[in-house]
Amino acid sequence: MKKKVLSVLLSTAMVASMLVGCGGGSDAPAAPAADNGGSQDTASSGDAAAPAASEGVEEITWMFWDDLNATEDLISIGYKDTVERFNKDYEGKYHVNVVTTNLEEYYPKLNALVAAGETPDCFIVSPGPNLDVYVDPGVAADLTDYLKADGWLDTFNGGEGAFSQQTYDGKIYAVPLNIAAACVFYNTEMFEAAGITTMPTDWQGMLDACDKLQAAGYTPLTISAGTAWCLSMLAGYLCDSEGVDLAAIDSGNASWLDANVVSATNKLVEISKYFQQTAAGDTNDVATANFYNEEAAMLIQGSWAIAQINGANPDFESKCGVFAFPGTDGRVIAKSDSLAMSAKTAHPDAVIAFMKYFTDDTAQKYTAEVGGKIPVTTVEYDASKAPAQLEYVMDVFGNAKSTFGFYNESMATTEAGAFFDDTMVSIYLGTPVEDGLASLEDFYKNNVWNK
Amino acid sequence: MNTRKKKSKISTKIIYIFLSLLAVVYLLPLLWVIYVSLKDDKTLFVSPWALPERLMFENYTFAWTAGRLGVATLNSALVCGITLILCLLIGSMAAFAIGRMRWKLSGAMMTYFLTGMMIPVHCILIPVFTRFSKMHLTNSQVGLILPYLTLSLPITIFIMTGFFQSLPNELFESACIDGCSIYRSFTHIALPLSKTGLFVTGLMTFVANWNELLLAMVFISDDAKKTLPVSLSKFVGPYNTNYSQMFAAIVIAIIPTIIVYCMFSNQIVEGLTAGAVKG
Amino acid sequence: MDKLLRDKKAIVIFVAPAFLLFTFVLFIPICQSVYYSFCEYNALTAPKFIGFENYRQLFTIDRTMKIALKNSLFFLVFSVVTQLIAGLILAALLTNIKRGRDFFKNVYYLPCVLSSAALGLLWMFVFTPKLGINQILAQFGIEGPLWLMDTKGFIILPMWVIASVSLWQYVGQSMMLYMAQISGISGTLYEASYIDGCTKTQAFRYITLPLIRPMVATAMSLNAIGSLKFFDLIFNMTEGGPNHMTDVLATHLYQQGFKYFKYGYASAIGTILLIMCLIVTFIINKFVKVDNYEM
Repeated sequence: MKKKVLSVLLSTAMVASMLVGCGGGSDAPAAPAADNGGSQDTASSGDAAAPAASEGVEEITWMFWDDLNATEDLISIGYKDTVERFNKDYEGKYHVNVVTTNLEEYYPKLNALVAAGETPDCFIVSPGPNLDVYVDPGVAADLTDYLKADGWLDTFNGGEGAFSQQTYDGKIYAVPLNIAAACVFYNTEMFEAAGITTMPTDWQGMLDACDKLQAAGYTPLTISAGTAWCLSMLAGYLCDSEGVDLAAIDSGNASWLDANVVSATNKLVEISKYFQQTAAGDTNDVATANFYNEEAAMLIQGSWAIAQINGANPDFESKCGVFAFPGTDGRVIAKSDSLAMSAKTAHPDAVIAFMKYFTDDTAQKYTAEVGGKIPVTTVEYDASKAPAQLEYVMDVFGNAKSTFGFYNESMATTEAGAFFDDTMVSIYLGTPVEDGLASLEDFYKNNVWNK
Repeated sequence: MNTRKKKSKISTKIIYIFLSLLAVVYLLPLLWVIYVSLKDDKTLFVSPWALPERLMFENYTFAWTAGRLGVATLNSALVCGITLILCLLIGSMAAFAIGRMRWKLSGAMMTYFLTGMMIPVHCILIPVFTRFSKMHLTNSQVGLILPYLTLSLPITIFIMTGFFQSLPNELFESACIDGCSIYRSFTHIALPLSKTGLFVTGLMTFVANWNELLLAMVFISDDAKKTLPVSLSKFVGPYNTNYSQMFAAIVIAIIPTIIVYCMFSNQIVEGLTAGAVKG
Repeated sequence: MDKLLRDKKAIVIFVAPAFLLFTFVLFIPICQSVYYSFCEYNALTAPKFIGFENYRQLFTIDRTMKIALKNSLFFLVFSVVTQLIAGLILAALLTNIKRGRDFFKNVYYLPCVLSSAALGLLWMFVFTPKLGINQILAQFGIEGPLWLMDTKGFIILPMWVIASVSLWQYVGQSMMLYMAQISGISGTLYEASYIDGCTKTQAFRYITLPLIRPMVATAMSLNAIGSLKFFDLIFNMTEGGPNHMTDVLATHLYQQGFKYFKYGYASAIGTILLIMCLIVTFIINKFVKVDNYEM
């Protein structure tokens, strides 16, 4: 008898699965030509709205690139607080659900959702080609009117100027949440012991400092080539200081084989002899750990590393200094997390209300005092609570004549950015400079300039 | 004769030393990962081989709850369990028709199913993904079960057909005389007599799907629905990674399999080998 | 009886679920995939037929493809050869010992049932300069190589490392296959040979080897197809890096398809992979497989 019941159960399960299976296939033969995800966007957001409306709560989704529960990143933890504050304050009216991935999978997953017509109502994005991807086909909504409607825009430091990387044809498509600047962090004790009294301001000064540190028995620089973008950040600084014009390269008016690129890459090779021995295999975290464990004197990183450094070794905060990468003529690499809204969202008001929570005083104060990033609004924060290094970073940022984005996030496509990173790593690992740049040039010939 | 015996004694010793060293190569990494998972992030890079000052069991709690390894284990069990049951049922039904019943196309049908064994999953990834996205089946467990089930079918059908063919004809004849229907002879004669076959194929299906990474990674984006192999990579944050918790996660991911393996190792090893031999 | 076994309705009911699933989730997608490989198809736009353009790019322009092909073929040859040799040696040794046979057998087989994703991460950490092997070597004053980052040579060090890890993980399976076959060989054959003055090595050479030849074919085709599908270990150990030097066809396909969303291009890689699988199966079946000996 028992067996009979089981077999009945099984066959029902089977029939159910068959129905699904058949449903899956019934329109399959007509597939190839009909694959056009766009038309389903409205339908799907409509579906999502239906259950929410019946309860009277407007549900929105936010997609983010770090797990809010598992993270140790202070900025991500701050975002988690923001989400909780929003859900509590708007209880019964709005509710945000968070979809998270890790950074590596973030854009693939987001693109998959967009392609499936399930664009999240709100999503985080880096300005540059990553944002282009969503602005060009109209996936991201124009936020200008919302920003101008009630003085929201005026709370930002620099007004519309704060949105230069998010503006396309005079329309703003994303809201920056914080700014991080890439600087050189250094160990003040080691610098003192090596007899370096003034911070290097040009390339020769940088090399001299490295020499002195090495002579004093220290590893001058720690960097990660295992995590390609770390090395590529240094390469970006070197290219920029040689006057490489990415826009000109993208449009085909300049080449990767030009003298200034070659000279920048040679500088990369030149300084690489000061790296820690395991740089090629060390990941981002290991390279940073080398610095706060006082195994190396300098670290070239974004200011997001402050939280990690102070968190792992609190005693180190007082020994850690910051200076701007030398020889760049006052230009600084800056990166901002930005939020974009789906153009097809059924709840724009809820999304805007949600975004405002990220730029309100509580969140921005947290950004500076705990997160160690530069706030985007004109919020007053308690400098004594903020990590000591933030002040130095603010100085670097304040003295900067202009800023530019991460190199790999400023190129024609994300693949081009990844190719640049990989090329720089392979040159560091021993590929001759000319060969490496020639492969980059080839990639642009075949994938960028012919489009 | 005596020298020969001595010689063989020495050679046996050498064989044992060699085998033991090899066993160390197999077990040491597994022990090392457990050991590191009990350290904390801060001392990890300073002294990776030093003993932990204090055993950090919270790495496990953290990986299990905040890292959602618990949910992932449940998801894996759910997806693999349902796939297993459906696969055994659907697979042995087809195998019964092919192996025992008489129809012209049975040979052709078998060949059709067998070609599936040569096809790498990568080839169907994109079409299945685009199709399922449109049907809103990606990011759902059903969307994962369907391809798992389909990819497990060829081997199931192949092995079960062999089993059904080896059953003696008389059994079915006498059942037929007793007025037993074809469905009943399938559920009451063929299936119970092929328990070994069901065990072997079930084991192969379950192990393969439990460890599957690619499909799960592409199809599932929602944390609450991720399976074990995919969840492992979530400790890599945007700017830093929780190393010791990642080690704890690796341990959590492999421990259930190791426990089950230790309990039934002989049956599992022999079952899987029998399956591979047939395949 | 016969009538019962020719019951058309029953046959349809029995076969239909498997047939439908197989057709809609496997067969039609493969046809679609082959069609997509002739299209320019990005996730957000409809596929557009462009003939052999994707294949032209793959074989003339794409440097990563060359590396991936080279690495995939290396894996194929490496795993077929080493698994054959190591599997046979282990099987021969294990059948010759009495005590502890089950223990060793089960230990060597263990990684086969574990998740290669987890094992890949584990080995990645073992080869990380700051954590694993190199730290032990440093105790003895040896500076270990960059296991996963070195790029010198035709087949670079990371490929040897990954291939060895995969040998470590899967040799248990080959070993078991050979052991199963060896234990099926009748003991009287060996006894007879010993009476004739055969040594154990000679017995292995002249009795065991010829008799397990059919199993060699089976194990080889399992290894060959498995090594072409190889993905998890590489993905979690190097993700194809540095600079795509450790990419294989499967990881290249994943990156093009799901990182850069070139569906058409990735489908072309998939089609090549499919063709390679078919050719390898064909070759092994044609040249290695022989009829079972009577035993």
